Amino acid sequence: MLKYIIKRIGNYIIMLFVAVSMTYFLASAFMDPRSNYMSRNPRPPMASINRSLDMANINDQTPVIIRYGRWLKGIVTRWDWGLSPDQSPVGPAIASRIAASLQLVTLATILAIIFGVSIGVYTAIRQYKWQDRVLNSIATFFLVIPAAVMGLMVVLIAINFNNLIGTRAFYVTGLHSYQGNNPVLWVLDYLQHLILPTIVMTIPGTVSYHLTQRTYLLDTMNADYVRTARAKGLPLNIAIRRHALRTSLIPTAVDVAFSIAGVFTGAVITENVFAINGLGMYFTQTIAQNDINGAVAVAAFGGVCTLTGALLADIFSAWLDPRIRLS
Amino acid sequence: MMNDSENMVADADATDEVRDFQQGDGQTADVTTDNKSGKSGKSEHDDFKRTGRMMLYVRRFCRRPSAVVGLIVLLILIFFAAFGARFSQWSYDEPDFAALAAPPSSEHWLGTTVGGSDLYAMIVRGLGRSLTIGILSSICITIIAALVGTAVAFFEGWFEHVGMWLLDMLLVVPSFLLIALIVGMAKGGSDWIWLAIGLTAFGWIGYARTLRTLTLSLRDREYVRAAKFMGVPSFTIIVRHLVPNLGSVLVINTVLGVIGAVNSETSLSFLGLGIKAPDTSLGTLLNAGQSVVQTSPWVLVFPSVMLIILTFSVQLIGDGLRDAIDPYSRSGGKAE
Repeated sequence: MLKYIIKRIGNYIIMLFVAVSMTYFLASAFMDPRSNYMSRNPRPPMASINRSLDMANINDQTPVIIRYGRWLKGIVTRWDWGLSPDQSPVGPAIASRIAASLQLVTLATILAIIFGVSIGVYTAIRQYKWQDRVLNSIATFFLVIPAAVMGLMVVLIAINFNNLIGTRAFYVTGLHSYQGNNPVLWVLDYLQHLILPTIVMTIPGTVSYHLTQRTYLLDTMNADYVRTARAKGLPLNIAIRRHALRTSLIPTAVDVAFSIAGVFTGAVITENVFAINGLGMYFTQTIAQNDINGAVAVAAFGGVCTLTGALLADIFSAWLDPRIRLS
Repeated sequence: MMNDSENMVADADATDEVRDFQQGDGQTADVTTDNKSGKSGKSEHDDFKRTGRMMLYVRRFCRRPSAVVGLIVLLILIFFAAFGARFSQWSYDEPDFAALAAPPSSEHWLGTTVGGSDLYAMIVRGLGRSLTIGILSSICITIIAALVGTAVAFFEGWFEHVGMWLLDMLLVVPSFLLIALIVGMAKGGSDWIWLAIGLTAFGWIGYARTLRTLTLSLRDREYVRAAKFMGVPSFTIIVRHLVPNLGSVLVINTVLGVIGAVNSETSLSFLGLGIKAPDTSLGTLLNAGQSVVQTSPWVLVFPSVMLIILTFSVQLIGDGLRDAIDPYSRSGGKAE
């Protein structure tokens, strides 16, 4: 098992390296930091533009392979992910924003798993009955709504609700606004901010876990070993819980592990709708400012998330499913 | 649309081929003679008409009311996107400075934006853009994914190993970020082409992996082996035998892929990284509506409703197609 995991990690590190290098070259080819300065009025002198670009190692007059070498050396030797065009270091900027994204993503993921899996089990047991049909239609409806539409609709409803009751029950921007020292009020204020983005991120997750868990459970519910359990005299509910549900949770666990990366990109939209200064917001800023180093660093972080998820999925499935041979 | 029907026809041909092949193989003498007598019987009585495969699909599709509703709604939307601009006196790029942020009225049917653009005209334009990008990139994604996915599975050995490793590697960095990287730089005017290219370039990878898994069971079939031993070129085998046999999966996923592409397009445009002024798309309108959600909510509501109708109708069509094509489907009636 340990050998298997080490082998996987080695493979993933090489993958990450190639993918991030590819992103670096892609970003260097498509982003034009020089245009930040050229569009200024009055235009700064050429020498000063070149100097600032050189300081950040993003000057398009330097061959890209040399820039790449410097960039790589900085990361390997000093863990320095480079500078933005405005000369601020990228690493600390990302580190300070991870916390905000993490708060948002963690709660939403946990809630989505709980709701999604329970609804999935509930509907699978009642296949083709009215509860199943109604919940399935609702799920399909929410599944196809674009994330931006969902976020903005929730904002619209919340604002109208606030206007209706005449007080600010929900906040639609940021994560904090309370300035005092009272911890109870602080928590209350935090929850008032957190609830809407969490709803927006929980719904798509819930819906997809619901639909997949339903399919997985239906697949196992008709399996031979469940029929055997029933034939032995086990009541239907216990047979499902002990025999069908357990096996059907394996693919769900794998999905959950993989969702770590997906949730991160889903947060880009939510953070922009609710003006939460997390990684997703930072990424849109880096693109808007032609910040090559910043965008690549975010992409690298996304890559690490994906591969962590993949590794967890490998471990989960090996651990939960004895049929998977490790070698 | 053209592409879809071609796929379906090809699918039917290939499956007939399989049947012929199996018949030629002749498991038992009885079966073979039975088939032969059946065939000769058919040619004698011309009034007996066999239900064609396409006809069967159409009938099964029509049996689902929701699928038919979805198709009608989508056709209305396409018509609206193509000809809707003729019904209004306003053009999307011609602001009315006498009516800034005006609510819906007889003059401006759906109101105007803060810049004075007529929202009806902008929605017609944006819907056209979303539909074009969605359908175009979904078809391209299917073609690329089908060719790569089947090729990786067909050439076994080291080619498959390297191919799978490369596919996995391309999936490491979330594709949304890579698309944003490429499209964020495109200047106004040509940005919708870049968006379609970006969505295609990074959208096919996961899909190719799925198709490779499906091909694994096909590559050892007798007709593929026979073609191989007859010396048919590999590319011809892939195009003639492997891809058509995934036809049903491809058709369904092309339709459902439109939803994914429209969603990505909306997200990117909403973030200001996709389609930019003077052009417009539904995502761009959402972005414009976000800042005026309290003062002029109609800028937000109408594009949102339009997007929901668009994606939901496509989903209904996809579900209907899945049930129509899937031979094991139990959701329809019993009769053929």
